[in-house]
Amino acid sequence: MMEFPILLIPTVILLIIWYLTASATRLDRLHQRVETSWANLDAILQRRASLALQLTHLPGSDPAANLLLTSAAHQARAADISERSEAESALTGALLLLRQEQWLVEKYPEVFAELDHLTERLKIGISLHVEGVSAARARRSKAIYRIFRLAGRAPLPVKYAFEDDSLAEVQR
Amino acid sequence: MKIGLVSPYAWDVPGGVQAHIRDLASHYIMQGHQVSVLAPATDESAIVENFVISAGRPVAIPYNGAVARVLFGPVASSRVRQWIAGGDFDVLHLHEPAIPSLSLLACSIAEGPLVGTFHAAAPRQKATFAIAPFLEPVIEKLRARIAVSDIARETLRIHLDTDAVVIPNGISATFYETAEPNPAWKKDFTIGFIGRFSEPRKGFDVLLEALARIAQAIPNSRLLVAGPGEVVEAIEGVDPPLRSRITFLGRVDDDAKASLLKSINVYVAPNTGGESFGIILAEAMASGVPIVASDIPAFKQLLEDGKYGLLFENENTSDLAEKIIHLLQDEALAKSYSEAGVEYAKRFDWSQVGEEVMNVYLHARAEDEKVTLLSEARPWSRLFTRGNKE
Repeated sequence: MMEFPILLIPTVILLIIWYLTASATRLDRLHQRVETSWANLDAILQRRASLALQLTHLPGSDPAANLLLTSAAHQARAADISERSEAESALTGALLLLRQEQWLVEKYPEVFAELDHLTERLKIGISLHVEGVSAARARRSKAIYRIFRLAGRAPLPVKYAFEDDSLAEVQR
Repeated sequence: MKIGLVSPYAWDVPGGVQAHIRDLASHYIMQGHQVSVLAPATDESAIVENFVISAGRPVAIPYNGAVARVLFGPVASSRVRQWIAGGDFDVLHLHEPAIPSLSLLACSIAEGPLVGTFHAAAPRQKATFAIAPFLEPVIEKLRARIAVSDIARETLRIHLDTDAVVIPNGISATFYETAEPNPAWKKDFTIGFIGRFSEPRKGFDVLLEALARIAQAIPNSRLLVAGPGEVVEAIEGVDPPLRSRITFLGRVDDDAKASLLKSINVYVAPNTGGESFGIILAEAMASGVPIVASDIPAFKQLLEDGKYGLLFENENTSDLAEKIIHLLQDEALAKSYSEAGVEYAKRFDWSQVGEEVMNVYLHARAEDEKVTLLSEARPWSRLFTRGNKE
């Protein structure tokens, strides 16, 4: 009768260690996913900002629209992570205004095709990033992750606010 | 880009998922990417595509109203391991990773840029809930999830509590649009049906029952059926005079399917459920044939609530008969559906769908990242696996 608890205790300890290690690995993977999706999203946003600046140099475009676009693009580039989504949304708005100028689109089809391509990629990038961030945050808020500090020193992923249900939009 | 695709189902048994993988692979190869497909095979010599590698013989299990041929176990596991180790993939695209087969195996072994596509739509199933805790840590490794329709996305949300990007299945729109009709099949008032008619969920019985009414209203109406199944069994309950109106063509290849769609006056999809996308409807639209389909969620979504085809109440034979008669008699209506369908079907062409999937690949991957085996990524497990590495 005495041997039973003696064997049980190390088994339980081993199981707990295994469970905690596996949980930490899972969280680590989620962090990695968020890092990757952010790096890719950031790269696309940068490309869009530089394309926006390129658009302002097109001969024949409206000076007022150009001014708006230039400032929006610069703000998007300069914004830190907490202001980023707001600045990018402003740039989206400015680009949408320009996109409606039918004669300009017809005059420079290549530039606008590039813009449309970036917009498509942006939608996917945003939805994947938002999904990753919410998964990581949801996991970190669980009691076991907080009690045992399984997140280590990894920073809490920042929510990217704009276009909340962007997933539904990707279909169209 | 080096792309690895994994099929959960036997490659030499025709099926929607396999066809999807084959076409996606061919599309990317045409674009200059390097593609390798790993799939189970009941008969390895039956594989004609040079980009497909067999992972061994599958076992048959009943799944979602049909028989699925899947593969797992230690031998398959070591095949997958070898394939990933030798593949040097930039991205690994796993199809249907939530069912117990090759894709799930690959997902648990690999690490890095993993993408999963979820094809199935299933109602809430207790069995799936029971295994969800075991699936979750594996499925979680996918950097990006794709669902083929809103219904597939919803299934994923309910069963595995995870979201997905919706990208529809692809078709070769021009192939169906430019196919030639077969003079032997092209007669007035021909109704077409394609699929495994012996499977109850395909709803062939509903169509057979409706046929009697249709024959009354339109004396020279006919039914063309393509697809594998037991003919004698299927028409057992049908009145002998009606039988002469039905022609069974057996299993047909893609060329015959395309010319069948071009030869008929209306395509009918009476499926009673279990469908998550309805690729045949996209193909029918591309070929310009008007559609009558049951109002199950997948078809309702694909046909945008009846904008691109007539919907009838699921399993309601008199409603089906009415809709078919209506479409056969109203030429203007048939023509407007036909024209709208051809235009709409371009959205499902591989040129469009392939680019969307590629965008997901690009977002799932960090720069210069490769797919690795799990053991390579974990320094401490290297100690145990050093001996048996190639």
